[in-house]
Amino acid sequence: MSDDATSEPGSEPVAPEGSEVDEPAEESATEEPAEESPIAETASRPYVESPIIMATVRVVAPFVFTFGLFIMFHGADSSGGGFQGGVIVGTVVLMLGIAFGIGPTREWVDPSTIVVLVGLGTLGFVSVGLGTVALGGAFLDYPVFGTALGVPHPSKYGIELVELLIGVIVAGIITGLFFAIAAGTRGGESA
Amino acid sequence: MSTLEFALVAFVLATGLATAVLRDVLGSIIAFAAYSLGIAVVWVVLQAPDVGLTEAAVGAGVTTVLFLLTIAKTVRPSGERTLERLDLPALGVAVALVAVLATTLGALPPVGGAETPVATSEVTSYYLENAYHEAGVENVVTAVLAAYRGFDTLGEAVVVYAAGVGVLVVFQREVFA
Amino acid sequence: MIDAFAPRYLYLVTFLLLGIGTYMMIGNRNLVKKVIGMNLFQTGIFLFFIAAAYVEGASPAVLTREAPHVSPLPHVLILTAIVVGVSLTAVALGLIVRIYADYGTLDADVLWEVRHDD
Repeated sequence: MSDDATSEPGSEPVAPEGSEVDEPAEESATEEPAEESPIAETASRPYVESPIIMATVRVVAPFVFTFGLFIMFHGADSSGGGFQGGVIVGTVVLMLGIAFGIGPTREWVDPSTIVVLVGLGTLGFVSVGLGTVALGGAFLDYPVFGTALGVPHPSKYGIELVELLIGVIVAGIITGLFFAIAAGTRGGESA
Repeated sequence: MSTLEFALVAFVLATGLATAVLRDVLGSIIAFAAYSLGIAVVWVVLQAPDVGLTEAAVGAGVTTVLFLLTIAKTVRPSGERTLERLDLPALGVAVALVAVLATTLGALPPVGGAETPVATSEVTSYYLENAYHEAGVENVVTAVLAAYRGFDTLGEAVVVYAAGVGVLVVFQREVFA
Repeated sequence: MIDAFAPRYLYLVTFLLLGIGTYMMIGNRNLVKKVIGMNLFQTGIFLFFIAAAYVEGASPAVLTREAPHVSPLPHVLILTAIVVGVSLTAVALGLIVRIYADYGTLDADVLWEVRHDD
């Protein structure tokens, strides 16, 4: 993700109004430069097609996605969980948007899918909570799944399910917010 | 404090200060991204890997991208000056706040001591002792997040959901497009 | 004096971050920088919580690691707070984009004048 070769110095001088960019060099290197240069230019040009960024993202994206899912599913026994994994999965879409243009990525993901995913995630979380109440337990009382439905390790799998739903909500919202801010207000031109 | 900690804290404070004083908003955003990365490492040093993971992804990744998108959609005011002009009233308020807070410093428990109220709290020992056989997971943070404080987490998830709805309302849209 | 201060320096860092955040929210006229200041302020609070949970020589709150563990509760609170914080930031930035579309400026002072001329 932090590939220094992706920060394109060639595209720097065309900043709007000929303003100088006075960021300390050592700080920009610690950030993910793949995400910096193309967007910074969007005031003048919406999208900079850079073969370096595209190639890097094409290689890195599957690994980041897998890492995000790993974090999400292994939250029970090691560091990680729904919030962390969801954010990392959301970052994959952000990376694709920056590398291949936000418009094409938005069409590929389909904005209404995000709304459905987020809605289902929130509804799923609530229904897990209410489901335990319906089965005679307290709110989010996972062991009820074991006594009423015979699920093995009910607490562990209940927590995993909730973590997964949190991951879906967070990933969906991160992606959605990215698209929404990129598109701007209705009637305005979209990036 | 070890040399690593000292260097980290110095880096965090320096980048935080750079964020405040840089005139160019782009420079400020990049300094903030570096700051977030630094503070993510601080979380790991303070034995909070879950928080560090989230901060690295959120602070250095997502937030930075959102800020950059915003200045791409709006303006990026810049002038010939590198640093922001000092705002004395604001500086006065900030210094007063720090001064007032610093008077409490002596009353706070030392960081890292085994006798701090948080470490000796009944809640802490209960979670650490019972998480495995009550919730069935080894990561106590996950156990507290999804089981013991599941209702709270539901609230947080709904807040995140509400943020999505809020942005859609602000932009008068029905989908994220 | 220095003996009392040395183990508590992380709290002082917290206070300084709160100070920087406050300064940015009040002193910077650009709305985007005000939001960045709000984020800085937030991380100052986070540092307070995480520093309060820290125990010298303890391992993270994962039970596969050996015995003294740090308290998991502040970590959980901050974990959710970070994600809620990014949502908050996104809503604020959405409002900023909308404000710019309607008023054509992000300068708080100019915005105030424009609002009062209406």
